Amino acid sequence: MNVILSSIIWTPLLFAVIALFLPERDEEQRGRVRTLALAGAGLSFFVTAFFAILGQIGLGQGGGLASAYQESHAWFWTFLFHAYYDVTADGMTLPLLVVTTTVFGCAIFHSWKIHERVRLYVILILLLETAVNGVLCSADFVLFAAFWGLMLVPMYLLIRVYGGPGARRAAAWFAGFQAVAFVMIVATVAIIIIEAGNQSSDMVQDLKTFSAPAETIGFWMSFAAFAIAMAIFPVHTWMVEAQSKASSGVAAILSGTMLLLGAYGMMRISLVVFPAAAHHYSFAITGLAVVGAFWGSIGALRQDELRRFIAYMNVAQMSMVLLAIGAQTSVALVGAVLLLAAHGFASAMLTLVSGGVEERTRTTSIRAMGGLVAHAPRLAGFWLFAALSVIGIPALAGFTADFMVFAGSFPEHRIATVLVMSSVIITTGGLLWVANRVFFGPVREPFARVRDVTLLDLTVLIPLVGAVLLFGIRPGAIIPVISNGVLEITTRITGG
Amino acid sequence: MSFTHALTLGLLPEAMLAGAALLSVIVAVVRPGLRPDIHRWIACIGLVGSLAACGLILLGLRGIRSGVAITAWGGGLSVDSFSVFIAILAGVTALVSCLVSDTPVRRIPARSSALYGLVLLATAAVDAVAAERDMVTFFITLALLLVCLVAIGALVKTDPRGGVSSFEHLIEGTIGTACVLYGLVLLYGVTGNTKLSVVVGAVHTAPGVVALSIALVLLGLCATLGVFPLRQWVGRAGTNVPAGAAGFIIAMSVIGGGAALARVTVSGFGAGVKPWMWLISVIAALALGHASLSALRESSVSRLLGQLVSAQAAMLLLGLLAFSTGSLAVPAYGMTAFLAGLGITAVAALAAYGVLAMIQRAGIEDAITDLRGLAHRSAPAALFLSVAVATLAGIPPLAGFLSRLLLVTSAADAGYGWLAVIAIAATLLTVIAALRFIGLLYADTGDEVPFTLGATPVVSRIVAGATCLAGLVLVVFIQPLLAVANAGAGPLR
Repeated sequence: MNVILSSIIWTPLLFAVIALFLPERDEEQRGRVRTLALAGAGLSFFVTAFFAILGQIGLGQGGGLASAYQESHAWFWTFLFHAYYDVTADGMTLPLLVVTTTVFGCAIFHSWKIHERVRLYVILILLLETAVNGVLCSADFVLFAAFWGLMLVPMYLLIRVYGGPGARRAAAWFAGFQAVAFVMIVATVAIIIIEAGNQSSDMVQDLKTFSAPAETIGFWMSFAAFAIAMAIFPVHTWMVEAQSKASSGVAAILSGTMLLLGAYGMMRISLVVFPAAAHHYSFAITGLAVVGAFWGSIGALRQDELRRFIAYMNVAQMSMVLLAIGAQTSVALVGAVLLLAAHGFASAMLTLVSGGVEERTRTTSIRAMGGLVAHAPRLAGFWLFAALSVIGIPALAGFTADFMVFAGSFPEHRIATVLVMSSVIITTGGLLWVANRVFFGPVREPFARVRDVTLLDLTVLIPLVGAVLLFGIRPGAIIPVISNGVLEITTRITGG
Repeated sequence: MSFTHALTLGLLPEAMLAGAALLSVIVAVVRPGLRPDIHRWIACIGLVGSLAACGLILLGLRGIRSGVAITAWGGGLSVDSFSVFIAILAGVTALVSCLVSDTPVRRIPARSSALYGLVLLATAAVDAVAAERDMVTFFITLALLLVCLVAIGALVKTDPRGGVSSFEHLIEGTIGTACVLYGLVLLYGVTGNTKLSVVVGAVHTAPGVVALSIALVLLGLCATLGVFPLRQWVGRAGTNVPAGAAGFIIAMSVIGGGAALARVTVSGFGAGVKPWMWLISVIAALALGHASLSALRESSVSRLLGQLVSAQAAMLLLGLLAFSTGSLAVPAYGMTAFLAGLGITAVAALAAYGVLAMIQRAGIEDAITDLRGLAHRSAPAALFLSVAVATLAGIPPLAGFLSRLLLVTSAADAGYGWLAVIAIAATLLTVIAALRFIGLLYADTGDEVPFTLGATPVVSRIVAGATCLAGLVLVVFIQPLLAVANAGAGPLR
């Protein structure tokens, strides 16, 4: 029996349950809790990286839905519809699984910086990892909704309990927006089950054509839900609040994995299940992408807080993904998946570095910082590395992704593509401008004794650097895998 | 099997309960000085016996396609798979309540016999409500259930407010049963028969009177189910009665009310009597909105739990509406969703109030702010309470979510899309209320010293914890519950 995907999903939960029974009275015991959590997250990562993705690459052309990694068990069937514990990982899912398991591993490493309520922290992170990996692997609509809802409580508590001043409000924003997104996903699932008429909630089923109103309502319902999760304009405010108030480890998860899930859901459900409506409203989608790209990049320039700046950068980056979703060509969608992976690594790195900067300077204000490179050159180096990946410098993960998104979108929406491309200039300027203000210039007196990155920081950041380089240098290995996964979407859209 | 034997077997669960209650009273009279625990174990044995009898009936039902074991008194009493499902649910609810009832019993050691006797009688009343199809006996059993539950509340009261609360429950319940009575009397006046199934014949002769009487009956049964408009007693019982007993009162009333509504509407009126369907849909919409909005502004834990139970009970009404063939042209599964949801609601309510009882036992007050930072003081208490509240609110991946999804899809399939939208919006509100509450348990540090749940006996702790975890277990093993619920729904279709 193939249990690779189940082990990726449930291993973190298993370790969370074990952690529940460990004491945390002194530092030694807390260390034990962290080590156990690291083992859980690490195991999940290793299974993903070495069994799943490498295995899939090795399969060459066999990376589509008929992949080696599929499990299906009947869940319940004495009802209006049949539901399955159906998990699968196609070429679209696998790279994203690598991103999520890497980011969660880094977040667990980051727990060595947390000294209070460590057990709760790692349990919530592991629970969240189970939910995130579950969403990515779900091939059943009910299972998808259940895993999606599972993210609510852990993320809410992580923001609220471990955040700084204002975290309570940020958590409330998160809860409000995400609860709305969740109920809209449930409504979409209900529409699909009833309207598809297959008496099944299996995603892999051959969905029948919906009636026009059901197609439109279902599409916009799912689109709105995933747009909230993606934090695109105009439903991005929750992310800006959460990103700036949560602890840096939690914020890294937020920008590295949660946004990615929104885009994944949009491609997996909004495009695949409602292809006619998605095609019909593609102009509106790209319009949103254009507005969001400018809103994010210009909004970032107006920020004085480092992490609010990153949050607006996220809005701009997600707008590029939205452009690809609007274009609906296979090249653009492959680029979008690659961009999600690149953004996941780079954004998590930017967030963790900014957390390190805030920790050392004891300020969140960009205006108050300056000259850090003199005392923390490696920290500056990590920031620049992540920023360059976001900008799309060759040999880093962002380059191929950006290129494919724009190349794939241009034939469909020329003006929109050019406009979004021009917003990248602002993004680039913003990232370099912030790097200049924070790390370069004259050394400020309060920061004269700032420490450079520690061994713990290196442990957290180097895996992300490695991933960005790997995706940047060897995109040829991963693109065929993603293409196979995207094939299903493009086939549905073109009516195949 | 002869009719007498069949009737004996059919009524064996109720007989076991009545026998155990009688034994408990006799023991209390003959040996008044015995430990109160004796009565608890007598009640538990009676309940286990009743559940075993239900098992026997189920064995007998295996080969019967209609799902009806016996029909007696001209169709007025029908022991079928539906009534057996309800009997099992009520039996399990009572058993769990008995096992976690340490706190209320300690307050009234001399009257523990009366308490357990009332618990057994209430269980028997619920069993009977589910089996009745005659207006007269239906009303009597419903009134018996109300009296038992009110008496339990009054018996275990901790302060004068508990007495007042029980009195208010009595008044509200009496208004409800009076509505049911007037409705049934009007129906009798129109039909000249005490059988619910004959109402369909009178719809065309006196539509106005039939509609009025149906409205009265439904309004009255809403009081038992604990949904708007007659639902104030749910919050009061939760606040003023020890949580262990409050859990039983609320859960048993919801089961009894749900069984009665299903028997009257689906089984009694059926598809031929249209007014009940639009009345139920309107009541469901109002009840969902009211309970969910109220949950957002609660300041007391027990009242918050009451609102969540009430919202979940209102959600059950969606299942009642989807009792006939839906858009997918397959047998409607609304009743399956209804019965599965009823089971999940009862378990979740018991779990929530069971954990609250342990917290109360540790001396923590009832205001939500008193539980601020509970996770710092007792991590297990916070975890269990979070799971129970999340189950009631419909947060995934717990059983409450699945129950709501099944109910919503079946209502949407039956053409009640607008109601499904309201139900989903109501779920949004309950999810937010639950998240806020859970956040308070974990986020903010209180000044109080840590406590343990050690003051509660081990058995009670294990049972309450297991009931909480049932919210999780039922998600994985939902199929057996659905299969049983589907069998239970069979005779109603």
